[in-house]
Amino acid sequence: MKRKWLWSTLFAGLMVMLGMSLSSEPVHAAQKTYTIGTDVTFAPFEFADKNNKYVGIDIDLMNAVAKTEGFKVDIKPLGFNAAVQALEAGQIDGVIAGMSITPERQQKFFMSSPYYQSGVVMAVAKGSKIQSLSGLRGKKVAVKTGTASADYANSVKKKYGFTVVTFDDSNNVYDNVKTNNAQACFEDKPVMQYAIATSYKGSLELAKNFKMASANNYGIAVKSSEASTLGKKINAGIKKLKANGQYDKIVAKYLGDGSEKSQAKKTAGMQETDRSFIGLLKSNWGTLMSGLGETLWLTVVGIVFATVIGVLIGLLGVVPNKFAQGLSTTFIYIFRGLPMMVLALFIYSGVPTLIGAKIPAFIAGVITLTLNEGAYTAAFVKGGISAVDNGQMEAARSLGLPWGKSMRRVILPQGVKIMIPSFVNQFIITLKDTSILSVLGLLELTQTGKIIIARNMEGFKIWAMVALIYLIIITLLTWLSNWVQKKVNA
Amino acid sequence: MTTRVEMKDVNKSYGDNHVIKGVDLKVEDNEVVVLIGPSGAGKSTVLRMMNGLETTTSGEIYVDGQDIAHAGKNIDKIRENIGMVFQHFNLFPNMSVLDNVTLAPIELGKKSKTEAQAEARTFLEVVGLTDKADAMPASLSGGQKQRVAIARALAMHPDIMLFDEPTSALDPEMVGDVLGVMRRLAKQGMTMVIVTHEMGFAKEVADRVVFFGDGKILEAGTPTEIFDHPQHPRLQTFLKQVLEA
Repeated sequence: MKRKWLWSTLFAGLMVMLGMSLSSEPVHAAQKTYTIGTDVTFAPFEFADKNNKYVGIDIDLMNAVAKTEGFKVDIKPLGFNAAVQALEAGQIDGVIAGMSITPERQQKFFMSSPYYQSGVVMAVAKGSKIQSLSGLRGKKVAVKTGTASADYANSVKKKYGFTVVTFDDSNNVYDNVKTNNAQACFEDKPVMQYAIATSYKGSLELAKNFKMASANNYGIAVKSSEASTLGKKINAGIKKLKANGQYDKIVAKYLGDGSEKSQAKKTAGMQETDRSFIGLLKSNWGTLMSGLGETLWLTVVGIVFATVIGVLIGLLGVVPNKFAQGLSTTFIYIFRGLPMMVLALFIYSGVPTLIGAKIPAFIAGVITLTLNEGAYTAAFVKGGISAVDNGQMEAARSLGLPWGKSMRRVILPQGVKIMIPSFVNQFIITLKDTSILSVLGLLELTQTGKIIIARNMEGFKIWAMVALIYLIIITLLTWLSNWVQKKVNA
Repeated sequence: MTTRVEMKDVNKSYGDNHVIKGVDLKVEDNEVVVLIGPSGAGKSTVLRMMNGLETTTSGEIYVDGQDIAHAGKNIDKIRENIGMVFQHFNLFPNMSVLDNVTLAPIELGKKSKTEAQAEARTFLEVVGLTDKADAMPASLSGGQKQRVAIARALAMHPDIMLFDEPTSALDPEMVGDVLGVMRRLAKQGMTMVIVTHEMGFAKEVADRVVFFGDGKILEAGTPTEIFDHPQHPRLQTFLKQVLEA
């Protein structure tokens, strides 16, 4: 009976997955929908407001262009690097994320006509003695990976004798300056203005003796194959919006007249008013819970598939056949050996360039979990079976039972009992490992935390909330599994 | 008389280690053959070769005329006719006594569940454990476990029974019950091959006793020949040691 229950659960899981992959097929509507990737932490160009709605110059502009030109957009906050990688892999159609137009990017993608002129500024801790490039000798400068500011920092670091430290998120860059781990940072002017105007009011300031460097233009990147369709429409849209004044309205909405003061006033309405732990928890509760929902969904689907694959591969490892055993050992060796983040990025960004088809982030995440957790599962399934006394197989075979029947009726029921603690352990690890999938831009709990922090810069409080939620869920899971274990052993 | 088991010049080596050296052995129908000898002489290995649990390096083994070494998938059919009783019982700990006995007949489609269970109870009666049908193996004593193991083997109605040191792991007071069951089987005419250190029992039930030393058969004969008039000096030393112990 127990066995039937196990198999029917696994089967149900498979069916759910199948249904999901079918329903995620694009629905062909009258208007074509383009998927546009964007950053999660690039205020005032894109950021989640206190209602977790994505807002910002880029978001409003993209929506306005789509409306004028008659197409639909699905804007996905993936994080800057993940978005660019997804575009390279053809997973998405375009990226709008305050991207400077550079010759390298123009080679790889179709870059739209400029929609915003920016430049690099330098910020330091408030009251710092360092107010110019010449004060940076022997100091550290923080920048965000892959940005124009990073390029600028690298181009002058020899001349001024400073070291460059890079981060994936803007708030990490600013925090490093705030805590004096780095003595300055370079950032795009409007972004820096926004941060100083909102969350770093008392801690950072613009360096007084620094002239805006490497003035650059922001453009929208489009997949080369869509240059003549989407690319053309975007250029036409930008032109129209600039001509009819709508563009100026959008920019003014976030930047006011361009001064720090007016920007602060404009953006205050998008921020939480109560900054206490409870206040933040209340205002972000819905967002955190939707992140938790995605985490749990990923975990459940991941566990179901990892268990199916793990049990199959583990069984292959004990079949009396050299080829099957070799296959099992190789699978475990490769997928247990690969860091999960590498595997996730390889599947999401690497494989699509090879097969020429998109893999949705959720599916890529589930495949990653299946392979990685499946390899660990296979290893302990194999171990659990091997741990059953050899005499059991001999006794069953001596009665005339074939290998398969002996395995199913005699060895497996005993092996499963040995494996149960490992299964429980693996479930907990899977839940925690879903946080790694935030690199794919999946809006699970960790990514949700990142996004909230990108807006309000309350790293300590928000990460404490996220950590607490993980701990609570893992505690519940542990209680549940102890209860199941007691039932099984009774 | 039909020959049940026939071994012809059987050898087994692990690399350079030659453990079984040219064994020739015949077991006739209804015959009880007891294998004796010091530890490591190869008795158990030879016994386990008879149902294919051990492979051979060279030589031939026939059970009821069928080649064991090259049986392929047919090995399961051949094994149905050979009961095996192990030193450490090897009962299935995840099943009740009754399920241990009925597993093979039901799984192999020999009997319906009700038939198999009814018959299993008669076998449990034969070994004197009717009241333990619903017990789990962990709650049984060693002697009870071994008697269940015998009932489990009998449930397949084998023509041959192999016993691999069936009493070696038992407390002395349990040995009698198990030997009693085996004695009854022998009287009913079961073909049996037994590896044992119980010399008194060997003398009593064996039709033929085979003495192993160093992977070879050094001497074989009736119990009287072997125990009362041993010829080979190694057999003489062995018996002296066993009887003094």
